[in-house]
Amino acid sequence: MTPSRGLPVIEPVVDHAAAAARFNANPDRVTWHDAALWFVREKRDQAVTEVAEWEELRGLASSIKEHTLSRLDEYLLMFESAATTNGAVVHWARDAEEHNRIVYGILESHGVSRLVKSKSMLTEECGLNPYLEARGIAVVDTDLGERIVQMRREHPSHIVMPAIHLKKEEIAETFAAQLGTEPGVSDPITLVAAARGHLRERFLDAQAALTGVNFAIAETGGVVVCTNEGNADLGVALAPIHIASMGIEKMIPGTAELAVFLRLLARSGTGQRITVYTTHVHRPRAGQELHIVLVDNGRTTQLGRDGFWRSLKCIRCGACMNTCPVYRRSGGHSYGSTVPGPIGSVLTPGIDLEKYASLPFASTLCGSCTAVCPVKIDLDAQLYRWRQIAVDAGYVSGKKRGAAVVAAKILARPRLFALIGRATRVALRILPRSLVAAVAAPWSRDRDVPSPASQTFRAWYKANRASRRAGKRQ
Amino acid sequence: MNARESIIGAIRDAKPATVARPDVRTAVGRFPQRTNVIETFAESVALSGARVIEGKRSQLAELLAAAYPARGRRVSVVEAVEVDDGVSPHSFADTDVFICEATLGVAENRAAWLPLSRLRHRSAVFLATNVIIVVDRARIVADLHEAYATLDVAIDGFGVFVAGPSKTADIEQSLVIGAHGPTSLTIVLVDGAA
Amino acid sequence: MSIALFVSCFVDQLYPRVAIAALDVLDRLGVRVDVPGGAACCGQPPANAGFERAGDAALRQFVRTFTRYDTTIVLSGSCAMHVRSHAAALEADGSRVAASTIEFCSFLHDVVGVERVATLNAKRSARAAVHIGCHALRGLALASPSELRVPHFDKVRTLLETVQGLTFAEPERQDECCGFGGSFSVTEPDVSARMGRDRLRDYRQSGANLVVSTDVSCVMHLAGLASRDGQRLPMLHVAEVLSGSTAAA
Repeated sequence: MTPSRGLPVIEPVVDHAAAAARFNANPDRVTWHDAALWFVREKRDQAVTEVAEWEELRGLASSIKEHTLSRLDEYLLMFESAATTNGAVVHWARDAEEHNRIVYGILESHGVSRLVKSKSMLTEECGLNPYLEARGIAVVDTDLGERIVQMRREHPSHIVMPAIHLKKEEIAETFAAQLGTEPGVSDPITLVAAARGHLRERFLDAQAALTGVNFAIAETGGVVVCTNEGNADLGVALAPIHIASMGIEKMIPGTAELAVFLRLLARSGTGQRITVYTTHVHRPRAGQELHIVLVDNGRTTQLGRDGFWRSLKCIRCGACMNTCPVYRRSGGHSYGSTVPGPIGSVLTPGIDLEKYASLPFASTLCGSCTAVCPVKIDLDAQLYRWRQIAVDAGYVSGKKRGAAVVAAKILARPRLFALIGRATRVALRILPRSLVAAVAAPWSRDRDVPSPASQTFRAWYKANRASRRAGKRQ
Repeated sequence: MNARESIIGAIRDAKPATVARPDVRTAVGRFPQRTNVIETFAESVALSGARVIEGKRSQLAELLAAAYPARGRRVSVVEAVEVDDGVSPHSFADTDVFICEATLGVAENRAAWLPLSRLRHRSAVFLATNVIIVVDRARIVADLHEAYATLDVAIDGFGVFVAGPSKTADIEQSLVIGAHGPTSLTIVLVDGAA
Repeated sequence: MSIALFVSCFVDQLYPRVAIAALDVLDRLGVRVDVPGGAACCGQPPANAGFERAGDAALRQFVRTFTRYDTTIVLSGSCAMHVRSHAAALEADGSRVAASTIEFCSFLHDVVGVERVATLNAKRSARAAVHIGCHALRGLALASPSELRVPHFDKVRTLLETVQGLTFAEPERQDECCGFGGSFSVTEPDVSARMGRDRLRDYRQSGANLVVSTDVSCVMHLAGLASRDGQRLPMLHVAEVLSGSTAAA
């Protein structure tokens, strides 16, 4: 992803642990960030309690997605046919560059210089904003969270709550500088009102609107957009051109399936029963053009990966991020990817393994993400698989590899293990604590090393039990 | 080879073994049945930051007048069609109250379905500062499964489930009612006409 | 029926009293177990660090050692889950060993039964926070995880309810990970330590004066943090509490 003018450059290799260390340099901030996201997890739990058939719904959603992905070519063609009949223009983009060229082409041919954009992680993935800005098109992100990070020249840190990493005082500062609000006034109601006024004008004078797509319905050729703010709808209802960009994995067969996903999406992501607006667009307005851009950008490659294709079931709810104890304590930016958190850690290594090799290791494999995922992606299992691939590809430090291989050899041979164990225990007992701590540095920076037992279990067993056993019948 | 052929070809090469299409209808039929559908709808609405007013359809005019005393421009698709098809979507920017009637309401999440035929224009329901939606008690269904089984969402080319006034929690998770869309929603729940 | 007890590397070297307590419990419940010396490790630590093939050597040794037993009891949720998930792929006997490997608390709850466990007459006056390791919880269904909408159950708690004098503290976050995660503890030390401290704080604030766990690896991490912070909180394995041992971490 090419860095944009002014936005922070994403490093060539993402070191999650180093970024997490920087994040943890401010423990109070970690407390605040962790609590904010845990709160969303709790809201999700409350919403889930209301749905007696929740686990059945998850199973159903998972099967629907697996079915759809296994016949994705048919469904995409079905969608194209229906959408075209409806009067939409359907475009296909193999990669980010092609997507951006297509969008620019549509805008340029209509002389558009002002575009409003509602939430679309896909366009963030493709780097659309800097691409268009470099070509003279002003892009205004209209989702409040996205607008805030756009104004601050930052990347979003969460796919549903882009500004979750920011305190209201920081937002107030930005608004004071750029919208002329009173400095120091940071109550959310005032700030939202200021944003409302500022963006209203953008909606009214927008020459084109670009939206993401939550679900594309193959049988009817329609796209579904779910929002709370009404920003996608204001764009679509007013602008003469509507462009809907979507990853090809957003396809679902029909409206019976749509009901299943809509019941799961908002509850999982924010704890709401449904978003305020669930907009179904099938035809353009009279006099409007509707363009739908179907984007691959690595998805077909992921589809072919035996242990990883199920990550394409993702409906971008964000629940995995909210529940992940590591995400909550390291922040979305520490992943250096458009989509962070557990799902990001199984999607992005597929795009660039060298760059994102540290992400699958940014996890304790606790399994909470897998348990909240509305489409039952086996996230923890995929994280484990990526680790094997990252190591095989050589993207784990030589030191680590050497140590792990030696350790494994010892662990495989009980007698050797006992010998080394004994030596280690003796060493642990007689060496000064400080020396032991230095050797076990990464562990002992924060933790004491356990005092070794004077006798191993095996030694105890041999001394106390083995002789007893020998005489007994099995 | 163009992009379409390339992508379709890549999918054909890559896609996993076929997984059968699940029978959603049968699966849903096994879910526990919802009771108290109308009460659930009203209670659900209240939770979303919207208001509910209940009454008889024969008194609709009075109910609407009481629901929101319009200080400014009032656009109503229920009582009279005040607009013609040629008018620009931007022309509703100064709307104070927009009134329409839903095709149905969904009890589990208090969403009201508004197809284009009930909106006349796409923009008014989003540009208006306040929105009033009339919902017929006889047209409340239990959940989205029932709703989609009843509706043809494609028929008017545009339709939206509205489940409350616009809102955002993007600033430190503080909920603020009234983001870019309407700042209030009132549901006028009227008894069924047989 | 032949039953074996697998004593994992951590337990053997650092927490032998856990295995001693487990043997005591099984003995008194009339469950005769062998403790074969053929395997030192299930291979999980290197496997989870991305070195699965290196870990496979240990796992193969595990399979070879325990193939002749009908049941293999493992004193660690992480180890049991690793064997059950990965042994089948390895050797001819792998699937049989995978299927016959069972974690200690599961064995007591599902095979021995709570009524018989109650005959141990364990006693301990303490207010306990029950810490089920994540692999035991979500991987081995030792209790209903907070994420799922399923009928509530908690096998570990049920076992501990047989201990006279033991009351239970309820932390604010039911089952958040303690942050050990194997090599995670040293490759992501900041987040790991932060997670552990947060868990300790939650346990303390819930009024617990004892942490009872299914996994000594979690204990090693939490106790290490608590000790460094000068705020010791006694921690025991379930086996130790059931055997009525008085020694604490």
